[in-house]
Amino acid sequence: MKAFKALVDPDNWREIVATLARNKTRTAMTAFGIFWGTAMLAMLLGGAGGLKDTMMANFDGFASNSGFAFTQATTKAYAGFNKGRNWDMTTDDVEQIRRLCPEIDGLTTMNGYGCVASYGKRYYSGRLTGVDADYTKVMLPRIVEGRFINATDDAQVRKVAVIGRTVADNLFPGESPLGKHIAVNGIYYKVVGVVYQTSEVNINGKLDESVVIPNSTLRQGFHLGRKVDAIMFVTKAGTRPSQLEGRIRRVMTTNHQLHPDDKQALTMFDISEQFEMLDNLFLGITMLALFVGIGSLMAGVIGVGNIMWVIVKERTPEIGIRRAIGAKPGDIIAQILSESVLLTLVAGIAGICFAALVLGIAQMALASADSSPHYQLFFSQAVGILVTFIVLGTAAGTIPAIKAMKIKPVEAMRE
Amino acid sequence: MEKIIELKDVNKTYPGAVPLHVLKGINLDISRGELVAIMGASGSGKSTLLNILGILDNYDTGEYRLDGTLVRDLTENQAAQLRNRKIGFVFQSFNLINYKNALENVALPLFYQGVSRRKRNRLAMEQLERMGLADRAHHLPGELSGGQKQRVAIARALITQPALILADEPTGALDSQTSREVMALMRELNDQGMTIVIVTHDPGVGASTSRIIRISDGIIEGSGQSSTSHGAPQFAAVVNSFSND
Repeated sequence: MKAFKALVDPDNWREIVATLARNKTRTAMTAFGIFWGTAMLAMLLGGAGGLKDTMMANFDGFASNSGFAFTQATTKAYAGFNKGRNWDMTTDDVEQIRRLCPEIDGLTTMNGYGCVASYGKRYYSGRLTGVDADYTKVMLPRIVEGRFINATDDAQVRKVAVIGRTVADNLFPGESPLGKHIAVNGIYYKVVGVVYQTSEVNINGKLDESVVIPNSTLRQGFHLGRKVDAIMFVTKAGTRPSQLEGRIRRVMTTNHQLHPDDKQALTMFDISEQFEMLDNLFLGITMLALFVGIGSLMAGVIGVGNIMWVIVKERTPEIGIRRAIGAKPGDIIAQILSESVLLTLVAGIAGICFAALVLGIAQMALASADSSPHYQLFFSQAVGILVTFIVLGTAAGTIPAIKAMKIKPVEAMRE
Repeated sequence: MEKIIELKDVNKTYPGAVPLHVLKGINLDISRGELVAIMGASGSGKSTLLNILGILDNYDTGEYRLDGTLVRDLTENQAAQLRNRKIGFVFQSFNLINYKNALENVALPLFYQGVSRRKRNRLAMEQLERMGLADRAHHLPGELSGGQKQRVAIARALITQPALILADEPTGALDSQTSREVMALMRELNDQGMTIVIVTHDPGVGASTSRIIRISDGIIEGSGQSSTSHGAPQFAAVVNSFSND
């Protein structure tokens, strides 16, 4: 109760402020050390988070557990075939993979060509992509209007198309393309949707610049038979795409006489590994941010310790007087620590506010229509930094305070 | 009379390469209401004795009772509490806190008792009025004369209504006129029943007290009545004199 009364006593706080204000330059320099330490740590942590968001935005719309496989010319001779042979996957292979890999949650085949799409007298040169309905399980297209290709379109080999936002802007400026028919390489398709993608990474061209039709329709229209250029799939929870690689390769090497070690002939790509790599990269960046930030923070704390040491040294006679007239060691320590904590708290809050301002500006500057990276400091992080600083600042003030207590009052008064 | 200070065979040695035995079997009784001077040459042990009496230093062997309380093996907190409640200190160099005004300096001992700000400021103002310094209440020590500073220090010593005032060369930093006035004030307080122990090497100060204890080489050589009469100016007259500083 007595300690609380002392804590809320205005004289006590006036005295603490007066003590800090007596040497303004010294206090300001120390406060700047704390301010910068907190601001650095906060900015680095918030910046690392924002950078991660910015990088991850490149993969936005991709399922993190997705895999891709596509064919290339063989690089090894095998079963009487020379190396350099071109080969194609087929829908039969895909069906076999579906049966052998129940861990697959969704799989789409993909074929693609360059194309010229036209509506009336308007033309657009882009990509024609054939996909299955499961495409939306691998990559999430953002719908502007209408819908995406569905299973019925694929099963009934419908001549429907979903066009990218850029294609729509070029062919249908100022009007909705839904229900209208566009010509692609001489074949007419009814537009059922307009889409775009937010990520920078794409397979077979950016969705915004593509005309997407059911792959069954594309194969029929281009007389491809069962040919498939690539497959994209997502696995069920608990299975990584790379775990299926062996089975998928076995299907292909058996069906197409590929050398079992010819990795390039069937190139496979596990995006979860890329995500993991990014996660590790950002863990490294976060650790680096913490390391640098904590270094700055420690420099600030050492500054506080140093200043408290000087203050205690300067005030040793005063401490002696106070003890002679009845101050208990705890009273003196509390007073010294109050100064240390007040300095840390004010400068620390200012540092966090400054960091929040800088991060806010960074977020505004780097935000785009499709993505808004979070250059933000979480409230818990801000509180954590402040608490850490206060604890360390208190510890830094404790050592000189305890040292001062070891001097006898009568000796302290003489200094 | 009721004893306020009782020392029995008190010894104090400062350790070192050559240990210094500064107090050698001190036996001393001081009764309530006495005005006592402890006199001796430099290095005689009088300041060490005062520090032990003020619980600012420990003794090695013997026994010291302050107002009936055995002062032995006290924790820092117990010592601080005893100093705060039983003893008022007056120092040669005043020992005021230079960034606090007179009122805040006087009120400070009550802060450590947890007394509310309003009450301690009221009591401090009463003490300053008693010392004739009400108009200097909001002045910093640097804005006061030596005599005024010492009166602020005396007001601070009195504010907790202690059982004892310990004064260490209270006139040592003052001119002769101000010294006489401070001693007159001490006598006035003593007349009102306050026990006062003054450490001094000034025979004039010693002569103003009712008893002189002479210490030499850590031993009390003698204790006797002061030769000078205790006829002091009345308190009001002293205050008037100070007010003209």
